[in-house]
Order: sequence, then structure tokens, then C-alpha cells
Amino acid sequence: MFLLSFLRVIKFSLQDIARNIWLSIITIIIITLALFSVNLLLTVKVLTSATVGAVKDKIDVSLYLKSEAPENLILALKSQIENIDSVAKVDYISKQAAIESFREKHKNDPEILQALLELGKNPLSPGLIIKPKDINNYDDLIVSLNKIDNDIIESRNFDDHKAILAKINNIADKASEAGLFISSLFVLITILVVYNAVRVAIFTHKREIGIMKLVGASTWFIRAPYLISGVIYALLGVVVAIIIIYPFLSLIQPYLASFFSGLKVNILDYYNSNFLLIFGLEFLAASLVNVLASLVAVGKYSKV
Amino acid sequence: MIKLSNITKIYPPDITALHKVNLHIKPGEFVSVVGQSGTGKTTLVKLLISEEKADDGKIVIGGWDITAIGQAEISVLRRQIGVVFQDFKLLYKKTLFENVAFALQVCGEPQRKINNIVPQVLKIVGLENKMHRYPLQISGGEQQRAVIARALVHRPKILLADEPTGNLDSINADEIIEILQKINKFGTTVVLVTHNREVVNKLRKRVITIENGLVVGDQAVGKYVL
Ligand SMILES: Nc1ncnc2c1ncn2[C@@H]1O[C@H](COP(=O)(O)OP(=O)(O)O)[C@@H](O)[C@H]1O
Ligand SMILES: [Mg+2]
Repeated sequence: MFLLSFLRVIKFSLQDIARNIWLSIITIIIITLALFSVNLLLTVKVLTSATVGAVKDKIDVSLYLKSEAPENLILALKSQIENIDSVAKVDYISKQAAIESFREKHKNDPEILQALLELGKNPLSPGLIIKPKDINNYDDLIVSLNKIDNDIIESRNFDDHKAILAKINNIADKASEAGLFISSLFVLITILVVYNAVRVAIFTHKREIGIMKLVGASTWFIRAPYLISGVIYALLGVVVAIIIIYPFLSLIQPYLASFFSGLKVNILDYYNSNFLLIFGLEFLAASLVNVLASLVAVGKYSKV
Repeated sequence: MIKLSNITKIYPPDITALHKVNLHIKPGEFVSVVGQSGTGKTTLVKLLISEEKADDGKIVIGGWDITAIGQAEISVLRRQIGVVFQDFKLLYKKTLFENVAFALQVCGEPQRKINNIVPQVLKIVGLENKMHRYPLQISGGEQQRAVIARALVHRPKILLADEPTGNLDSINADEIIEILQKINKFGTTVVLVTHNREVVNKLRKRVITIENGLVVGDQAVGKYVL
């Protein structure tokens, strides 16, 4: 009995959608646009956090040591630094290791290798590479490192990584804000369009609704088709959004890959592995928005 | 069966459609309600199916006080009262069978019951041979008969007919009245709102006369007096 009613409700709601087909198409396009902008926002978020994560990972402080500094002093300095609270790890790069990594880095550059050879001796200095525990304590770390007074220290390279991070965060925040604004705008338009679609559907069914009321159909039965329409719009909107988003992501992925080179982020992979979560949530959210808009329209235009 | 006590209905801002109306209609009665246009007859019908709410007084139907019932109860009430209005209100894209079936479908009745009841009620109104026609392929009188058939699908104890012959010529009108009498003979209480003098006089049943929202006459075997 309930199942039967439910199937009839779905049938009525599909009839609604088909009868006002143009309005339905416009409604679905708007929902798709809203979802598309939401996904754009999500893409920005994913790229930002990947970029920030990568930059954070690369942040370290280098202490360059005097070329002739003896090994035992270097190791003493190393353990002194390791004892600082805000230090996570200290790596010692010996002269030998430095030259090897230099050779490795420039192995395709014969001119530089030739110059190195002509120099006859190892021109590089040993160094200590210090990783901070928490990027937010970076300033404290710099202060502590500056306090260390040791003759073997040749120079201190405290690049302002914080400024870079701030810049990235700043750009990301701006992009997110714009995305959020556009998404909200589309959600708002969606509410209005769905509201209007349901209103028109109710008007085209005025006779049916009048008869339904007269013969004692329950309020639920009269209203449910329009609420179901909202859910069907959401479903179709999500399906169309998926159909559009995948080619779009494949299109931008190569540009992203080259722009963020060295950064392990593949937005397509991200979508693939979170497919159900992303589009499931989007479907739920869109359904909720549509059903709420339908409820208001139905409450206003189909009084029993 | 139907009992109105001191019913007053005022449409905003200040149109008094009914004023302190008292009425008692017994089960199985055939009652005509007559009166000029705009005197509150349709308002009376709407109060009985709770399409409008009274501003004062009490309405009891079959022992059930419906004066202030809620949404859910309204649909229960309407399955017990068949209503026929002057404008036929059929769905033009559905056949007569589908039109009558629609009333059962939207109340969640199973298809088996629908296939059983629809031909029965169409037979009562003499449309059993035209049930697969569309409303625009039959006469106005036949359309009104289909509406009566639809009003009967829930086997109501009360049938309210508000000017059912208003848009029909006298031959078609007579047929409709005959059908209403037939339904009344089955035991259904019938309330016929009309301003057709001939119809009322021929019926020789109880007549309630309304004038300016007041009941001014109530005769057991009445005549149209206005
Ligand atoms: N929905 C309404 N809003 C305001 N006034 C109404 C409404 N329905 C009816 N009326 C007024 O109430 C009075 C009675 O109307 P009605 O019951 O339709 O009379 P009848 O059916 O006897 O012609 C009329 O004056 C009419 O204009
Ligand atoms: Mg009237």
C-alpha cells in the first residue's frame, strides 16, 4: 500500500518534470552550474592544501660551516642544535656529500662539471640542515639559532619561507573566497529556480490538485510529487555535473601538473578515489536545498 | 447525519455569508437547498467539506464534530462525503475510467480495487458503455454524470451536489436528478443545492430556503417559493 502510493507519487512527479520540460531543463542546468562551481572550489582547496603541504615539507634552515671546520666540532654543534625544543631533525652534509649531490644535480651539465674539475679541489662547505618541528614556531627557531655563537659557522641562511607560505595561503584564501561567493550565488539562484519550477508545476496541475483535495487525497500525497521533483532535479544535476567535470579535470590536469611540477597532486586521482564521498555529499546537499525550496513553494501554493 | 448549530461565516473583511444557521438533516434524507445567487449556499457546502471554516457555531457530521478539524482529518472527512460542483472538473487528458480511477489512486487504493469499483460507479450513472471515451467526446450531461460517478468511489454516506444542473439543458438536468434520486434510494443522504424551480417542485422532497445567509424556510414537502 505504501509502496504503491510511493510509486504513484514518483510517477506523478516524473509527469510534472516532463510536462514542464523546458523549465525542468533550465532548473537542471542551474543546479549543474551550482555544483560545478562548488567543485571548482573543492579543486582550489585540494591544490592549495597539497601546495602548502609540499612547501611546509621543504622548509628548513641551512647553516653553512667553514670549509676547514673539524668533524668533531661539527658533530658537537649538531647535537647542540638537536637539543633545541623547536627542532625536529638536523642533517649533517659533509663536504664530500655536498660535492656528490652537486655532481648529481648537474650531471647533465658538462660545463659545470668541467669547471669543477679545473678547480682541482672541493669548493663546497659542509652544512647543517635543520628542520623545524612546527612551521608556526619558525621564528623562535631562528631566534635560538641566532643565539648560537660558534666560530665554525660561516653563514646562516634563514630564507623567509614563512613569507612564501603566507603568500600561498593568501592567494588560496582569495581563490576560495571568490569560489565561495560564486557558489553561494549559484545556490541562491538554484533555490529561486527550483522554487519557481515547483510553483509552475503546481499551477499546471491546479485541476488535478483541486480534484485530489476534493476526493480526500492526503496532504502528503498531494505534496510529495513536488518534493520528489526536487530530489530528481538534484540527481539529474549531479549526473550532468559529473559528465561535465571529468572532461574538464582531464583538460586542466596537464597544466596543473606542469605548473605545480614536483608536486604530487593529481586532481583526477583525487576525484576518482573520493568519487562517492564528493558526489554523494553534493547530491545530498542539492536534494536538501531543492526539497526546502519545494516545501516553501508547496506550502504557499497548495493549501488544502 | 448533518447538524449545524448557530453557524456563522464571515468572509474578510465583512461579508456575512451565513448568519446563525441551524439545520438538521437526517440519514437517508433528500434535501434541496434553494435561494438566490450569493445567499451562501456554496458556502454551506464548503463548510460541510471543511474547505472553509466557520467563524462561529458547530458542525457535526455522523456524530463527528468537524468544526475545527486538522489537515489529516480533512482528507478522512472528504472520503466520506461525495461532492459535485457546477463546473465539471474532469481531467481532459484522461478517459472517464481514468478520471474516476484517479480519485482512488490518489487515495492509495490498490489497482485491483480500482478495477472493481470504477465500472460499478460508472454503471450507476449509466456510462458503462462510454468509460473509455475522453470528456470532450461526450455531452455536458454525461460529463456531469462522470463527476457524480467519481463522487461515489468512496461509497460516501453523504452526497453534496452544488448546482449540478446549472450548466445543463432541462433534459440532461432531469437525468442528473434521476441519478441523484437513485443514489438516495441506495441509502445515501443527498443534499442538492439548486435554483432550478422546476426541479425542486417536481421532487416533492424537503426544501430549505436560504436568503441573505439566513434560513428563511424549511418545508417537509417543499416548493420553490422565491
Ligand atoms: N472566498 C470568498 N471570499 C469573499 N467572499 C466570498 C467568498 N466566497 C463567497 N463569498 C461571498 O459570500 C456570499 C455567499 O456566496 P456563496 O456561498 O457562493 O453564494 P451562493 O452559492 O448562494 O451563490 C456572496 O456575497 C459571495 O460574494
Ligand atoms: Mg453557489
